[in-house]
Amino acid sequence: MELQKFYYDNKIVKQFILATIVWGVVGILVGLIAALQLAWPVFNFDLEFLTFGRVRPVHTNAIIFAFVGNAIFAGVYYSLQKLLKTRMFSDVLSQINFWGWQLIIVSAAVTLLSGFSTGKEYAELEWWIDIMIAVVWVVFGWNMIGTMIVRREKHIYAAIWWYVATFIGVAVLHVVNSFELPVSFLKSYPLYAGAQDAVVQWWYGHNAVAFFLTTPFLGLMYYYLPKAAGRPIYSYKLSIIHFWALIFIYMWAGPHHLLYQALPDWAQALGVTFSIMLLAPSWGGMINGLLTLRGAWDKVRDSATLKFMVVAVTAYGMSTFEGPMMSLKNVNMISHFSDWTIAHVHIGGMGWNGGLTFGMLYWLVPKLWKTKLFSERLANTHFWLATLGMLIYAIPLYWAAITQWLMWREYSPEGFLAYPNFLETVTQILPMYMFRAVGGTLYLVGFLLLVYNLFKTMGAGSFVNSEETQAPALVNDQSRQEAGETKHRWLERKPVWFAVFAFVALAIGGAVEIIPMVFVKSNVPTISTVTPYTPLELEGRDIYVSEGCYVCHSQMVRPFRWETDRYGEYSKIGEFVYDHPFQWGSRRTGPDLARAGVVGGKMYKNAAWHYNHFQNASSVSPGTIMPNYPWFANKTVNLELTPSKIRAMQTLGVPYPEGYDLRAVEDLTQQGQAIADELKKANIEVEPTSQVVAVIAYLHKLGKDISTNE
Amino acid sequence: MTNDNIQNQDEYIHNEELDQKLMDHDYDGIKELDNPAPAWIMAIFYITIFFSVMYGAYYFWFGQGPNQDEEYELAFAEHDVEYASQKSTEKLGLLTDEASINEGMATFQQQCVACHGMNGEGGIGANLTDGQWIHGCSFDDVYKIISEGGPNGMMSYKAMLSETKIQQVSSYILTKLKGTNVAGKAAEGEACQ
Repeated sequence: MELQKFYYDNKIVKQFILATIVWGVVGILVGLIAALQLAWPVFNFDLEFLTFGRVRPVHTNAIIFAFVGNAIFAGVYYSLQKLLKTRMFSDVLSQINFWGWQLIIVSAAVTLLSGFSTGKEYAELEWWIDIMIAVVWVVFGWNMIGTMIVRREKHIYAAIWWYVATFIGVAVLHVVNSFELPVSFLKSYPLYAGAQDAVVQWWYGHNAVAFFLTTPFLGLMYYYLPKAAGRPIYSYKLSIIHFWALIFIYMWAGPHHLLYQALPDWAQALGVTFSIMLLAPSWGGMINGLLTLRGAWDKVRDSATLKFMVVAVTAYGMSTFEGPMMSLKNVNMISHFSDWTIAHVHIGGMGWNGGLTFGMLYWLVPKLWKTKLFSERLANTHFWLATLGMLIYAIPLYWAAITQWLMWREYSPEGFLAYPNFLETVTQILPMYMFRAVGGTLYLVGFLLLVYNLFKTMGAGSFVNSEETQAPALVNDQSRQEAGETKHRWLERKPVWFAVFAFVALAIGGAVEIIPMVFVKSNVPTISTVTPYTPLELEGRDIYVSEGCYVCHSQMVRPFRWETDRYGEYSKIGEFVYDHPFQWGSRRTGPDLARAGVVGGKMYKNAAWHYNHFQNASSVSPGTIMPNYPWFANKTVNLELTPSKIRAMQTLGVPYPEGYDLRAVEDLTQQGQAIADELKKANIEVEPTSQVVAVIAYLHKLGKDISTNE
Repeated sequence: MTNDNIQNQDEYIHNEELDQKLMDHDYDGIKELDNPAPAWIMAIFYITIFFSVMYGAYYFWFGQGPNQDEEYELAFAEHDVEYASQKSTEKLGLLTDEASINEGMATFQQQCVACHGMNGEGGIGANLTDGQWIHGCSFDDVYKIISEGGPNGMMSYKAMLSETKIQQVSSYILTKLKGTNVAGKAAEGEACQ
């Protein structure tokens, strides 16, 4: 057979490895800052750029899209070329992928810290960054599919199945969740509102975990684990079953983030059942990984790479057992809004994504730089620091979650909430937050050891940008199924068909849930008393969104006695029809605000209270961990944008009267003046168009429209 | 055989017993075994599918399971039955005994000082020490505004404080704060003795 000479593109792999390392340091460090802020609010520094509400999205985006994203690209660009015996399809596309992705990350960090956010978790980036992501992602997919077409290997190996599913899955999720109407360069409103927005967002949010943090890493596992262990994959058949089952079932499970919330029962039931059915397909990956190590366990003892991979696969198995359990309604009642979810995702993030990335890097860097790892001992130290760091991070948070939940629902012997002051349930768990910061510190120190170790390794080795190799040309002219060839084996040599089937498997779940929610009216019963936001309330809401208030404050009272006793009437689907975006939140570090505007209700505070609370939260709530927002009083709302915001809302179907955009500023000033006058009675002087007035107006709108029902 | 595969042959760990099921697949030196998926994982898979069908049947087709609104109503009723005996049927009045006043003071310092000040001088909330009262100054008036809340920002405490506690704190306000005339927030409301 004719041998063809070609060159592997190692340079692109090196670029992505370096980016992984740099963004890893940034992402973990920002996470540590966020952890410190929760334990000691002084770490918010009273600076608007460093409040927890802005820092937390920077942490999540930096870890998911910068650190893990670059690790995926590094791992894929290396293994894809090896598995297909060819250079990447196009060097230009590879470079656009690399530099485009880094530009997206920098834009994300700058805009989020400056307070430009769409307010949808893990999709906080503004519209033009969303477009950049879509373009760069398509470049990545185009490059990958192109490489498959010019391959020299007859069949597509299991790792690449996962890469293909990743490309298609993320593309679909990102595009559908990012439909938004721009108002200006830095402001847009999502097309969907309220419960519909929630369904789309958590279909995205849940499956971002699936197709950005799970499927690409399963692909990486299928390549790097057998390579590092020198053992064959335990079961080819299991590879097939768990691949198709997982990508089909995952897409249905999103509504488990919305259990006991304002969502139709049928959608919640789909979320519960498909999450339960996800257990075995997820574990299929863990089993195939662990059983592949049969016959190589003595190697695990010595190799940091394999140790990291074992912890990664084990953490994956734990998370994917825990996930379905958390999707049962009676467990979700505890885990949702508590720190349980935070602990859960960090087992996944630190253990599975971190562990596999570290393992891969310790194997890949010496290989690419043609040398030995500088210090196996340092790598082993890193292993123990990372594993301990993860446990010291997560265990206190599980403890905190159960403690706080028990306190929320505890009744005194007289039948009243035993801890009516929400703050008591927060100060109780602050020691756990301190432990969490210790765990994060250990994890960061471990990562810095990796940085040192790998740079020393790189320094000692020699790197070849384009590595010469050779492979036989591919003869693949038989398009029909050959005699004795299974259907799947046929599909494995037809990458385009493979991608089409994967798309179909992926698309069904989302379509069945989203299309009825958006187009079938009975799923969102309207409430006649619910009115659109006034211009001032809308501006206040935009500030609420951009500051990331939803990071700590939910707006979703669940139908439990212990929630309605604390907050007021439970939330209804029809209340949220003008909410672009929805702001239900996912963690209650502060109390729920859905009923903050119900006068005489349990959550109502007057304007003077809010003013003092924003200026200096601990003056009205001693011991609170809420950051201060003193600039709210000095900064004013940008009135030039108000009319176009009203017009955008009209486009999205909010029933403001025709031509209202021209009267909006007048109404805004009038409403602001009334609040300013009220504040004056408490000796507080503010401009009627100041941000604090707008936010107060918004908070006083929350829940007001249905309060007549109480 | 490519260069890569020759190189990878050295790394490959041979295990006679385990490798009997080796397939002819070879991707960059990665081989695959012809093992079936373990039976227990397939069993879990089928059990979860069965569970899901039964779940759907229980809540939807047969309509047996309560939806979340019905669940809430049930829990609400249970709670009321459980604590019904705690509700007093007598009319509550002003307490003057020292123990009750001290209890009232403790509650006041926990719940009220953020808005009404340490000595009742007011701030965010009204001054409780002067002679003017917005919602009236009889025991029943004070009890009612604490229990039900009011339109200018006073919170409702009936779900947070027991009737006894509201009785105690009302008594504390009327016997220990009212009339002490601490300088603070300007007087609001109507004169009331």
